[in-house]
Parts: sequence; C-alpha cells; structure tokens
Amino acid sequence: MPIPRRRFVLALGTVSTSPVVFAQGPAPLSAPRIVPVAPDQAAEPVLQFFTPTQFATLRHAASLLQPAYSNLPGAVEAAAPEFLDFLLAVSPAPRQALYRGGLDHLTSQAKLLFKKDFAALTAPEADQILKPLIVPWTFDPPADLHERFLTDLRADLRTATTNSAPYAAAAATTSRRGRGRTGAGLYWLPIDPTRR
Amino acid sequence: MYDVLIVGSGHSGGMAAATLTALGVRCLMLNAGPVADLERDRVNKSAHELPYRGFGKPGLHPHIFQANEYNANTWVDENEVPYTHPADASYNWVRVRLLGGRSLFWARQSFRLSDFEFRAADHDGFGENWPIRHNDLAPFYSRVEAQFKVVGRKEGWPQFPDGNFVEGGAGQADSECQQRITAAANKMGIGVSRMRAAMGDGGLASSVNLSLPQAVASGKLDVLPNAVVRQITTDPNTGRANGVIFLDRHTRQERRAKARVVVLAAGTLESTRLLLLSKLANSSGVLGRYLTDQQYGCTVVASMPEARDGKANPKLIGGGLFIPRFRNLRKDEKRNFIRGYALPLNTGSSPDPKYFPEYGEALQKKLASYAGSCVTGGIYGDVLPRYENHVRLNPNQTDAWGIPTLHIEARYGDNERNLCKDAADTMEELYKAAGLEVIVKSDKVNPPGYSIHELGTCRMGADPKKSVLNQWNQSHDVKNLFVVDGSSFATAGWQNPTMTILALSMRASEYLAAELAKGNL
Ligand SMILES: Cc1cc2nc3c(=O)[nH]c(=O)nc-3n(C[C@H](O)[C@H](O)[C@H](O)COP(=O)(O)OP(=O)(O)OC[C@H]3O[C@@H](n4cnc5c(N)ncnc54)[C@H](O)[C@@H]3O)c2cc1C
Repeated sequence: MPIPRRRFVLALGTVSTSPVVFAQGPAPLSAPRIVPVAPDQAAEPVLQFFTPTQFATLRHAASLLQPAYSNLPGAVEAAAPEFLDFLLAVSPAPRQALYRGGLDHLTSQAKLLFKKDFAALTAPEADQILKPLIVPWTFDPPADLHERFLTDLRADLRTATTNSAPYAAAAATTSRRGRGRTGAGLYWLPIDPTRR
Repeated sequence: MYDVLIVGSGHSGGMAAATLTALGVRCLMLNAGPVADLERDRVNKSAHELPYRGFGKPGLHPHIFQANEYNANTWVDENEVPYTHPADASYNWVRVRLLGGRSLFWARQSFRLSDFEFRAADHDGFGENWPIRHNDLAPFYSRVEAQFKVVGRKEGWPQFPDGNFVEGGAGQADSECQQRITAAANKMGIGVSRMRAAMGDGGLASSVNLSLPQAVASGKLDVLPNAVVRQITTDPNTGRANGVIFLDRHTRQERRAKARVVVLAAGTLESTRLLLLSKLANSSGVLGRYLTDQQYGCTVVASMPEARDGKANPKLIGGGLFIPRFRNLRKDEKRNFIRGYALPLNTGSSPDPKYFPEYGEALQKKLASYAGSCVTGGIYGDVLPRYENHVRLNPNQTDAWGIPTLHIEARYGDNERNLCKDAADTMEELYKAAGLEVIVKSDKVNPPGYSIHELGTCRMGADPKKSVLNQWNQSHDVKNLFVVDGSSFATAGWQNPTMTILALSMRASEYLAAELAKGNL
C-alpha cells in the first residue's frame, strides 16, 4: 500500500533527524491511571444566575416540593437548587424568563399574603401559595405562566435530585422497592466531531 | 468506475448494498457522517457524572423529544444542518448521520403493511393506491423477517399480515391485567395481539451488524464515510444519472464519484432534498409532496386498584398488549374519520409523577402506592398523505457545507384529530370495562415528525403524472436512478415503516441487478 503523502513526509523528517527512533518506532508510553475527583465533591458552585432573593425562594420551594423521603435525599440535600442556578444560566432566554418570573411571583405572593419573604414562610403558609399553582396534568403545558413554572420546577427538581450523586449513593444502600429511579445509562461520546 | 453508487448507510442503504453485492454488483456507499465504534464510543455513566446531570445542554436539540444527555452526540446538530418550518406548524425532524443512520437506534417494532394500506384508495376513495400489493412484497418481507429475527404471534387477521416469525415470541402466561383487558376488548369486538419486534443480534438490528458486514465481505462494496453528497450528476446527452458530487465533511474538498446507476437511501427527506437540489425526477410536479408519517401521542393512563400498595406481582400485572387497526375495516363503517390506528399498551409500570397534581410527601406517598400498578397506552395513528404537506428548498438558508436546506410544511387535519379522539375514548372505555381506574386521558398528539417515521415526498405509483417512482422504486424520468427509503411510500398506514422500507429496498435492488445484467440501465 502506498504511504499517504502526509505520513510519507513525516517519515522523511524523522529519518533525517533521528534514524534510530524511526527504525525502532516510538517507545510505548505508560503512566499510572489517575482517577479524578468529581467537581461537586471538591468544591461548591458559585451562584451565577438567580438574585439572592430568587435563590432563597428557590431553595425553600425545593425543600417543600421535593423533600427527603424514605432514606433518600431531597432536592436541598442533592444540591438541586445550586444545579438549577447553573442550568438556567446556560438556558435559552424564554426559559430564564419563566424561572425568574415564577420565583418573583412566589415572593410577591408571600409579601402580599404574609408580609414576608417566601423563604421565611412556614410550610402551611407556603402551601397556600403553591397548592393553587399545581394543576391537573394536561398534554400541553398550562397556559398560565405561573402554573407552568411550578409544573416545570417540580419536574426539574425531581430530575436534578434523582440524578444527583447523593441520591445515587443513598439508592445503592436502599432496598430495591424503595429505591426509585436513578439516572444511569450508556453515554455516547462525541464521534469525530466536525472541525470548524 | 462502480456499477452503483449508494447514498446513505441506514436500513435502506445497507439492504441495497447487501442485496446488490450478493448478486455481484460493485458498489460504492457514500455516507455523510463518521463511523462509530460501538465499543470505544459508548461508556456506562451515572447521570451525576454528566455535565448537565442528564438534562442535556439546554437548547441543543430543540426538535428532538427523544434526545437526552446520553445520546445527545448522536443526532444531527440543527446548527450544522438546519431546516425551517412555519411558526404555527412545528416539525420534528430527527436525523442521524453516523454510518448505519437511524438503524443504530430504532426500537425494532416490526410490522408489515396490509392491503388496507396498499389498496387504501380502493377501500375508502382517498388518494392513490400503491402500484403493488401485499402479495408482491410478501416474499421479501419473509426474507427480511428471517434476517432480522422478527418475533410475533400469528393471528390470521387481514389487516395485520403474519410474518415469517422466528421462535422466541412466546413469553410467560398472561397476567390477570392482560387477561382482563383482552376480555374487555374482545367484548367490544376488538382483537388483541402482541408486539412484533426484530431481535437482531445481541439487541442490535442495524445495518452495521446485519447487512453491511456481508456486503463488505463480498469484496464488492467500498464504504466512504464523511462524504456529504450535494448533487446527482447527469450526462447532458442522455439525461441519465452518471454519478454524484460530494464534499469531505471535514475539509470541504469536493469530489465526483461516477457509476452506472445511482441509488438514493439518504432517509426520506434527505433523498428528496438531493433530487430537488439536482432538479431531477420531477416531471410529475409531485416531488416533495404528500409528506406523511404516523401520529404519536393520545395518552391514556390507568391504574389497577388491586395492584397498588406493594401488591403488584407478575401474576397480577405486567406484560404488553398490541391492538392492531380495528376501525374502518368494513367499507360500510360510518365514522368521522377514515383509515385507523393501533394501540400499543403496557401493563405494570409506575406512573409519571406529572400525572398527580400534588407535591412533597403527599406526592411521594402517592407514587409509592401506585408503583407497578399502571397501564399506559398511546396510538400509532395513520396520517393521510395530502398534497399540501410538503418540503421545498430554502432559497436563503444553507447548511455547514453551503448546501441549501429544506423548508418543511406539514399539518395534521380533521381526519387525524377525529381519529385520535376515537382512540382516547376507546382506551378509556376499554380500561373501565377491565376494572381499571383512569388517571389521565388526553386526545392530543405530538407535532408531525415526532414518530421519526417521515414518509412520502417521492411516492411510487403506476401513473408517471402523479408519482415520482414506479413500482420498482425507479424514477419514472431517469431510469438509472432509484430511491429506496421511506420517501417512496404512497400511504403511511399505522405500521412502523422499517420492515416495509427494508423489503422494498431488497426488491428494488434485485430488480436493479437484473436490469443491469440485461444491459437495460
Ligand atoms: C429512536 C428511534 C426509534 C425508532 N423505532 C422504530 C421502530 O420501532 N420501528 C420502525 O419501523 N422504525 C423505527 N424508527 C425509524 C427507523 O429507524 C427508520 O425508519 C429507518 O431507520 C430509516 O432508514 P433509512 O435508511 O431510510 O434512513 P436513515 O437511517 O436516516 O439513513 C440515512 C443515511 O443517509 C445518510 N445521508 C443523509 N444525507 C446524506 C447526504 N447528503 N450525503 C451522504 N449521506 C447522507 C445519513 O448519514 C444516514 O446514515 C425509529 C427511529 C428512531 C430514531
């Protein structure tokens, strides 16, 4: 088989500078395998998207919507609010607006009904705001933006929780029935991506 | 020079290559994307190890409902090969450009079309018949079913032709839930069967493991990945196809490949796009028209009360059911829709949390109580092939290789909506008669394209004024040009299309090889 032009030229270059190496081929490289630490284990995320008030509202809503249950961590223990702060920062503008508007609405309702921040509400007080916004399922998302936000938030918190490292660790030690669904699967790496 | 150029390496291209090379025809296969190494390119990961915890990069695949962070790298990137649709008519175009195309990912549900589809116009007066009947395709279906190892239960129903099934379909005895639904359906005059599926090898029934290896082993097939075809070339004197022009995916260098025959297998809309770009095969004016697919959606979910609170067990609940088309089988049936739908049902699953308007501990308790007690159902609904549902070239948008893109315009109409309403009502009636509690019911469907079964736009027919291809998937206008993917379909039917695509590709390729040998091409 003819040597492709590029390899042929490289081979010539190698011959002129280091004929011994060319004759024997490069020595195979080896190094001990280093297992890297996961970022979540090593450091905490810097919040970048929500305002402090919005984040406090999100955290409190998370504790009520997806609490710890049956030895499995809830959204707060799974750092789901911190993860959503990152996810929303890189999300398309309409989704960012839905989240910001939804959290601001919870805050303004708390101020209106109880004269305090949403984050400071007791669970029964918060229920009075959250319950009317959790509507029966329809195929299309709710037309009302606040209802839509809460529908999405509830689902996002659940996914961010069940797909977290603390949840996976707890699920591994729980009986099969109580385990719930944890995210795992076959991941496709990028395959020869287009060079732009 | 090659005998045949095959554009595309999915089910349709793979079958063409295997069939042609077995008959001694020398082929070159051009595929737009790279070759995946199924061992090296896939790794087991927990969702928390992924950058976006399984959500996927936001906004990456806005039209691919099936995309998630695990498979995100396999789909065609819309930034690279964009397309447009009207603002009020979303279209989900789901594409894969790896060698093997979508055959690497399909769910392997495998059905034949029946004469209710091939002769649909005779039955209800709408549209055109196919130029072939089930009998014409039956021997090819049988060979494909053997090769793909299709399992299924024989029923002897004309709307659900039995196949050449391999052993292995029979599972364990029916659960009580399956029995109750079957009895309720039979009382309503509806027949209940089982899913039919291709086992392939080791759960993979793809061109890369079932058809391409034998073609390559014959020594008659060259495979060229990363070759983005942009045009079919013709001899100016004869008008016959004589090759293609393609670009290297990475360097964009253009090349010309020559052959005596060109076979398009680029996946329904990409084949039509190539014909539109090449200004070929459209003396009928219907190239790009009659885009159709199957409508998916129409969600009805129920729960078996006896199986709640930890009582679900395999004797009580579990296993799938499949109800093939049962509507409009008689010509005198009067409904507010024509054609029909199938109902795939699954028993023994847990409910999606979104179905309950609750949260917190109340929701967790509800989910624990309903775990394993649910029955889910949706539809595979026929979509009428209508002239106005079409694709055309975008004058002002090109892809990453400077090739004009497609504008896709497809809407479902009253027939599809009425059909779905009937399906939702029927499922509800069925569940209630079986003693189940209905949790949610919706007769809404996903946008066109969602089923990933886009069909038509290059349809076959007996009349060259009304169709692009003849009964051999051969262009009426350009005799040495064949199109062997789903674009040739004259009607969609409710059936997942791949078995039919494979059988048609095999049949067309045998015809092609014979014509080539006779010197007719
Ligand atoms: C998740 C999923 C589940 C499915 N489940 C089922 C099922 O259960 N049952 C069923 O019947 N069907 C199912 N399908 C549909 C099925 O996969 C398709 O019907 C079938 O694979 C189509 O094969 P094809 O060869 O026509 O097209 P494709 O598989 O799309 O192959 C087309 C090939 O053409 C190449 N190509 C495109 N444009 C160019 C170009 N310009 N130049 C060069 N090459 C080009 C692409 O690289 C690609 O490899 C499913 C699909 C998916 C994605």
